Formats: sequence, structure tokens, C-alpha cells
Amino acid sequence: MKPRIAIFDLTDCEGCEVQILNSKFIDKILENVEFLNFRLGQKINRWEGFDVAFIEGVALTSHELELLKKIREHSKFVVALGSCACFGGIAAINNFMDLEEAKKYVYGENADKIESLYVKPISEIIKVDFMIRGCPIVPEDFERVVSDILAGRIPREHTRPVCMDCKSRGNPCQLLKGNVCLGPVSYGGCNAPCPSAGMPCDGCRGPLEMPEMIAELELLKKVAQQDDIIRLFRRYAPMVTPFKEVAGGKL
Amino acid sequence: MIYDEFVTQIEGHGRIHFEIVNDKVVEVRLEIHEGSRFFESFLRGRRADEVPQMVSRICGVCPVPHNHCAVQALEDAMGIEVSEQTRMLRRLTLSAEMIHDHALHLYILASPDYLGVNGITDLYSKFPDLVKRCIKMRSVGNRAIEIVGGRAVHPINSIPGGFAKLPTRADMRRIVKDFKSIMNDCIETFNTFANLKYPEFERATEYLAIDDGKHFPVYAGRLVSNRGLNADVRAYRNYIKEVFKPYSNSKFCVIDGHGFHVGAIARINLFKDRLNPIAKDLLESSQVKFPSDNPFHNNLAQALEMVHYAEEVIRIAEELAVKLKDEERPKQTKDGTGVGVVEAPRGVLIHEYTVDKNGIIRGANLIIPTGMNTTNIEEDLYALLSMNIDKPKEELKKLAEQLFRAYDPCLSCSTH
Repeated sequence: MKPRIAIFDLTDCEGCEVQILNSKFIDKILENVEFLNFRLGQKINRWEGFDVAFIEGVALTSHELELLKKIREHSKFVVALGSCACFGGIAAINNFMDLEEAKKYVYGENADKIESLYVKPISEIIKVDFMIRGCPIVPEDFERVVSDILAGRIPREHTRPVCMDCKSRGNPCQLLKGNVCLGPVSYGGCNAPCPSAGMPCDGCRGPLEMPEMIAELELLKKVAQQDDIIRLFRRYAPMVTPFKEVAGGKL
Repeated sequence: MIYDEFVTQIEGHGRIHFEIVNDKVVEVRLEIHEGSRFFESFLRGRRADEVPQMVSRICGVCPVPHNHCAVQALEDAMGIEVSEQTRMLRRLTLSAEMIHDHALHLYILASPDYLGVNGITDLYSKFPDLVKRCIKMRSVGNRAIEIVGGRAVHPINSIPGGFAKLPTRADMRRIVKDFKSIMNDCIETFNTFANLKYPEFERATEYLAIDDGKHFPVYAGRLVSNRGLNADVRAYRNYIKEVFKPYSNSKFCVIDGHGFHVGAIARINLFKDRLNPIAKDLLESSQVKFPSDNPFHNNLAQALEMVHYAEEVIRIAEELAVKLKDEERPKQTKDGTGVGVVEAPRGVLIHEYTVDKNGIIRGANLIIPTGMNTTNIEEDLYALLSMNIDKPKEELKKLAEQLFRAYDPCLSCSTH
């Protein structure tokens, strides 16, 4: 009996699902699991008991809220897929701004016809059993979770800062260069693609369990203005403590 | 509104609503229910350097065009003149994006319609070679974007003025080798899709693409159409109008009040003479005829483009393998409003930004290929359903969705 999997997306960019398709082992995944519900990948989709449901994106409409609850009812195990689902993602930037003004700016006189809810991580709406972080996720994390499930293990997280990944790739330190880098307080395991491409880490995988925020903010204040620091925390993981507090202006 | 009503195998959430009374189609609605994230709004107040990475999050299927359109628009606003090498690298990554994106759409999303299978798992068990071909081509396309841009989904180092970190000549040689290894797969893709049976349907419409005076459309240029439109992209608002419809979060675009078509079919219809040699020969020696007014042939155009863009990547990478060099990134020289335009896999993409003298964004407007196609899709649906009115409703629904899918719509993009 193959594990019965569902992959759902709410409002998002579907990049995390693309990363699943980008997995080196996508053929093995296709052979070893059964997709009961996968709108992006198949025509006939069923609502039966899912062993695991992966949910990507955020709930911006009341219909998406209902959908979340329905998925939870049908699933043994729910995994938040990507930083939108885990931490609110990029759409949550609107939480820190005037939403009515934002709607008017984009839709003009039709603003009142557009529904857009306050963005929450899906774990604040339904019970979430596991998170796959990142904007986008790295395929290796998905592969690990699926192989754990196939082996009957409960997936676990391996906590380490992005700096570990960054140093193992031999990159010069972005903080020492005077750039605003969130590597020391951010959750690693991504292989540090951003510093390896010459850009600082922007914390897309969310905070470590016990990040040294005070020291990090002191460092950042030396190289950047307050507004820049606040904006940096309002990118891909703005709705999770302690990033949320800085994104809200507490420095 | 239930999740199960959304059209499957397209990027994002939408459904097609149509009503038939006494054998006449009385209403067709393309309802796009993807939530709006208000990108144009929250980009205000950001630094120009942050924008290209952030806008790539509009879409995880086609992040590169958003990034490259943004850098181009920001450079226009800030008076930054980039080098030919930078433009070549951008043409390379956009072309590589076409490979992985078209392969994803053709094999994973569109082909089940033509091969009579349910989806990806089914396709893999019945046609494993097709899926393996798709995986191989996509990984090569992705790797080229990763080499130049730092990551395939949401590229990292492409910023106004150029690249935060440049690839090496050895990287370019690697890309050449990679792409030569899939050239045959691209040709086989065209052969596979040239032999499928497409629904018989034609409707004349306006096709829009970009023209830089030299290349098959990919990066920058004027807006041109088969009906005589030829305009500087900075004047896009004079031609392309956005209309709000209460049943959709995506705006609908029109030119002179009617729909128009952007994407692979528009590019091939307008510029097939500029195709690279192998793609051109393939087209000439096949039974396939372009220009075509059959929107289902968009899939065929995508397959042909895969050959062309693979050749394009090889051509650029071979040149850069010899002459790639380190460059300084030019800096901001002015403030004001700038416009950028690229060809995304799904068609013409326009970004416009207003930047102040400190490099802070003060205004943004984005017009997305799928938003441009929405009116045309509704017009096509109306004609297609009217033509097949005697068929059972279930079959009409299937046909309507197949047409919608042929456009390769991207609804996360269209609502952004």
C-alpha cells in the first residue's frame, strides 16, 4: 500500500510545487506514492483519507480558510510547504501596511470587491504537524520528508544557522563586508544559495529556535538604517516570532 | 466556490463558467480566484536592489522574466546603461527559462489532454520516456539559470546594473555541453507535438510580441502586432487598457476594446523568420503551418520554441565562453519612471517603476501576459463553444478547459 498523498495550494506562486518537480528523485517519488489530490498534476482528484497533505501558500480568502479546515479533517498528517504556509511569506507584508490603501492603489474604485484577509501562518488556523521551510523549499527537504514517511519515521528538523551552510561553501562573510545579512539568526539547511551568489541571506527559512537576536540587531544597526532593517524582516518570514516583532518595528 | 471546481493542470486557481440557453451561448466567464497579494502596492518604499528578487515571488513557474523585466525597468528609471555582456546573460537565462517552463507545460500539464491520461503519475507509468525526456530537459534549463542566477526558482543575484556575482567561462562551457546534450530531446519534443491531433478551431485575432530589431523576441524591444501596432513600450498605456470584471481578481486587457494574444503562438506567427537554423529547418520540413489562428497550436509553437531557445542558449554561451569578463556594475544617474519589457514563456510582460533620487520605489505597475490573454480567452471560448453547441455539456466543459490550458495560463501572475 503506497502512502496516499495530497498536495494543495492556496494563494502563492507555486514555486515550492515546482521545486518538488525539480527533485532529482521525482521519478522515484512518482513510483512510490499515490497522489489522491494534486490539482497541478492531475485531472481526477479525490477527497479520501490522506496519509499526508502538503499545503502551499496562504489563505487570503474565506474560501481558502474553509479549504484549510477541510484538508485538516481529511488528513492524518499535515505539512506546511514553504515559507508562505509556514510564516506568512511575502503576502504578509501587507499586514504591516494599510490594506485599504493597498487595495485602492491596485484596484482603484473596485477595491471593495476584492477580498483579502490578514495573513497568518497556516499553523495559526489549523494544526500543522511539520514544516518544510524556505522561499522556495529545497527539493532535498521534500525528499527527506517523503523518505521518512515511506520508512514509517516521523520527520524531524535539523537545526543549524545558515552560516554553517555558508561557511561550508567557503563564502566570504556578508556581515563582515558590511551587508545586512540574516544568516546567523536564520534556519539553515538550504546550502546557502544567496551568499554563494554574492547576496546576503534574507532569512527566508525563518528564525532558529533560539536566535541571538540582540547581537544580530546590534550588528545590523552598525551597517544599516532602522527602516532598512525593518524591511529586511518583512520579506519571506514576517509572521513568526522573533522576526515578527522586528518586522513590526521593535528594534 | 469549491476547490474541486478549479481547472486542473494550470498554474493557479480559476474556473470557466458558461451558460447555454436554447442552443445559444449566452455567457462565458473566465473567473480567476487566486488571491491578490498587492505586489504593486508593497513594493513602494523598497530599495531598487530589493525589487528584482521580490517580484520573482510573483510566480515560481516563471520567476526569471519577472526578475529581468524589473531590472530593465529600474535601469530605465535610474539612468543605468548596462553592458552588452549583461544583456547577453539575460537573454541566456530567459531562453533557459523557456526550456524548463515549456517542458513543464507541454509534458506535465498539457499532454494528458492529448494522450488521454489522468496526470503526471499516469503519464509516467504509460509514457515513461516522455516524462524522462521532460525531466532531463528541465534539469538542464534549471541548471543554466542556477549557474548564472544563483538559483532556478527565484534567481538571486540579478540586480539593477547587472549581476552581483558573474559566472565563469568554464560555467559557459558547461552550459554549452549541457544544452547540446538535450538538443535532440528538444527536436523530439517538436516531433511529438507536431504529430498530435489538435481540435479544429480558428479565430483571427491580434498577436502581440516584442521586437528589438534583431532577435527572435526575448528581451526588450518595441511592442508590435500583426495589425500594425508598433510602439515604444514606454507608451504602453496608450494601447493596452486594463478592465476590471467583478467575477475575477485578475484584470482583463484589451487593445481598442478587443482581446489580443501573447505568447509562443504570437512570437512564432510574427517572427518565424528569425528562428535559429535548426528550428527554422524543422518548421519548413514539417506539415506544420504558421502563422496559425488556432489557439491550440500555441502548444505546437512552444515545442518549436524549445528548439529555437536551446540553440539560442548554445549560441550565447559559446560566445561568452571566449569573452566573458569581470565588469563593474554601473550606478544610478537619475530618478524618474522607467518601463521594462521581456517575453515571458506566456508572452509579453511589462513592469513600470517610479524611483526617487535615493533609489527608493515610489510607484509600480505590472502587466502580466496571462492578464493580457484573458479577454482573448473569453472571446475564443465563446466562439469555440458556439461552434460545438450540439455536443453534451460535459464534453464542452472538457474542450473549454483544454483551450484554457493551451494558453498555458499563469493565474498567480495574473492576479499578483
